Amino acid sequence: MNDDYFYGRQIVQPKTESTKRNVNEAFIGTMCQRCGQNDIEKLPKKHFYCKACIMLGRVSSLDNLVSLPEPNQFSGQTELTWQGQLTTQQKQVSDTLLKVLSQRRTHLVWAVTGAGKTEMLFPVIYKALNQKLRVAIISPRIDVIVELAPRIQAAFEKTDIVVLHGNQVEQYRYTQLVLATTHQMLRFYRAFDLLIVDEIDSFPFAGDKMLAYAVNKAKKVNSALIYLTATPTTTLRKQLGKTLTASYLPLRFHQHLLPELKVKLVNNWRKRLPRKVEQQIKELIQLKRQFLIFLPRVADLKPLYQKLNKIFPEIKSDYVYAADPQRQAKVQKMRDGEIQYLMTTTILERGVTFPGIDVLILGADDKVFSENALVQIAGRVGRSVTRPYGLVLAYVQHINLKVLAAQKQIMTMNRRGRAVKYKSKPDSMVIESEKL
Amino acid sequence: MICALCRTELFEVDSFLQFFGLVKTEGKELCYSCQSGFEIIGSDCCPDCGRQQVNRQKCYDCQRWQYQQKPSLHHRALYKYNDAMRSFMQQYKFTGDYMLRKIFNRQLIQLVHNTNMDLVVPIPVSQYTMRTRGFNQVTGMLEGIQLTNALQVISVKKRQQSNLNRNDRMKRKQLFDIQDSTLIIGKSILLVDDVYTTGSTLHCAAELLISCGAVSVKSVSLAR
Repeated sequence: MNDDYFYGRQIVQPKTESTKRNVNEAFIGTMCQRCGQNDIEKLPKKHFYCKACIMLGRVSSLDNLVSLPEPNQFSGQTELTWQGQLTTQQKQVSDTLLKVLSQRRTHLVWAVTGAGKTEMLFPVIYKALNQKLRVAIISPRIDVIVELAPRIQAAFEKTDIVVLHGNQVEQYRYTQLVLATTHQMLRFYRAFDLLIVDEIDSFPFAGDKMLAYAVNKAKKVNSALIYLTATPTTTLRKQLGKTLTASYLPLRFHQHLLPELKVKLVNNWRKRLPRKVEQQIKELIQLKRQFLIFLPRVADLKPLYQKLNKIFPEIKSDYVYAADPQRQAKVQKMRDGEIQYLMTTTILERGVTFPGIDVLILGADDKVFSENALVQIAGRVGRSVTRPYGLVLAYVQHINLKVLAAQKQIMTMNRRGRAVKYKSKPDSMVIESEKL
Repeated sequence: MICALCRTELFEVDSFLQFFGLVKTEGKELCYSCQSGFEIIGSDCCPDCGRQQVNRQKCYDCQRWQYQQKPSLHHRALYKYNDAMRSFMQQYKFTGDYMLRKIFNRQLIQLVHNTNMDLVVPIPVSQYTMRTRGFNQVTGMLEGIQLTNALQVISVKKRQQSNLNRNDRMKRKQLFDIQDSTLIIGKSILLVDDVYTTGSTLHCAAELLISCGAVSVKSVSLAR
């Protein structure tokens, strides 16, 4: 293998293989040096391996970790082929990010769903690439990465990008710009000068010590770290103004407010499809709108799909779940308008854009829909300039605090958005010391 | 409880009798969807190699073994070597997730006990494998019963068995060596392997054991 395969990486090799590169012990005590966890399982003869990061290949006490320091061997020649325009609010955030890069700080961008977070990143990525810095954009969700990849590639047509996630077979190669899931960061070691973590609050990153360790280890000691989210977790919010600075963007790029969550009471929808839901679907079908139906569990998908197919046999639809082998193809069909509605679990709650859709959430009171999940789901609606509004209907058997909290969160966002929109207060707020 | 393969939570509810300890709770290792991927081989199988079929006649491969005048192994396997089993083996053997040895541990021990032989001999792994993988996949799965490590691997070639096809496998000469022949003289022996593919490994080992004084040799494996 060439040297550049090892630049800024940590590769597992059996101890029997000799190498001239930097070799580190895979374990110090019982702590895995790749993922930083103390979660070992015994092998015969007093050897052991790490259970925590086995999905990326086994690290055992029979192995070494081999790496080479990141040399930043890039030409620095790049071009921003993106032609769009940033709004004034976006521009402010984007300028802050340039400052964050030059100061090598950690910064949070808290922007509502559909604020155009990706576009705000282009200037800072462009600057970093120009300075021969290595850049990674990562997210806990595969869907987010898969959706992001073509957009980033279109913005930087002349830059070679490698996309890394568990479901694909693309070989790793040494590139200046890397798109990956957070798990892939376990394979890197002090590689990136600029690391951007999209949807920081989502599963499985939030509350996972291993992934936090991975991200920390993948960036260089002196590097800039940017977090992006629409719904920061409480732990992140507590850090605001203390150890973390943030940019706050409460208005969507098309200057419209977020669609609000409407709650409807229904009886047991698993047993029998409620009239209200059926009526609503009928109406949407007559209006020829595309819509998503969110369900709490994978097991709920097929029965509802069959029920609805019986009622509306001429309407094309489909359902998709995490382990679905055709997951990406089905989402693409929805995007292309081949099917009118798609039933899904929380996997499509974030990071995906279908222009001009409506959303129904059946069983929004189920425990799988957290407050932030509901806000994210509501954020799928009204993302296009042509139809910046839409319906978000939550069907519940019992109203609970979580649903109310989600409603309240959207209203708070909208109040702040309204302040920005009409009174032209500071367009976006940069939180330095003020606590929100 | 967490499913050992897909790591999802098992929603298991104890029955009334289990709750009061009147019926022993079975420690489930796998979730329903993972379990259903594995196909159990029923009683309708080839009498010599345990391959699943519609009748109980000797299969084509076993007729060929007979033609070569090899003794029958009366092989029995627990599961069919289908996609689920293949990905299990991938995870267990080649990724090296030693934890997974517990999944089929109990069933395999049950199968071994049913055969009622004097000695249980696992198929060994090479020195190289032991240094990189760190364990013998067969001994791992049989953890908890008395094993006799009578065999060892001679071959020093680095080619992995699973990359060979049937023809290649047939051409090979003896792979194993006896460690201590006093152990096996006059004993009936049960050979255990993880997967029976063409049978050449097991036939090879059986031939050696018999030539060194074993009375009879049978074999079992997890998959066929």
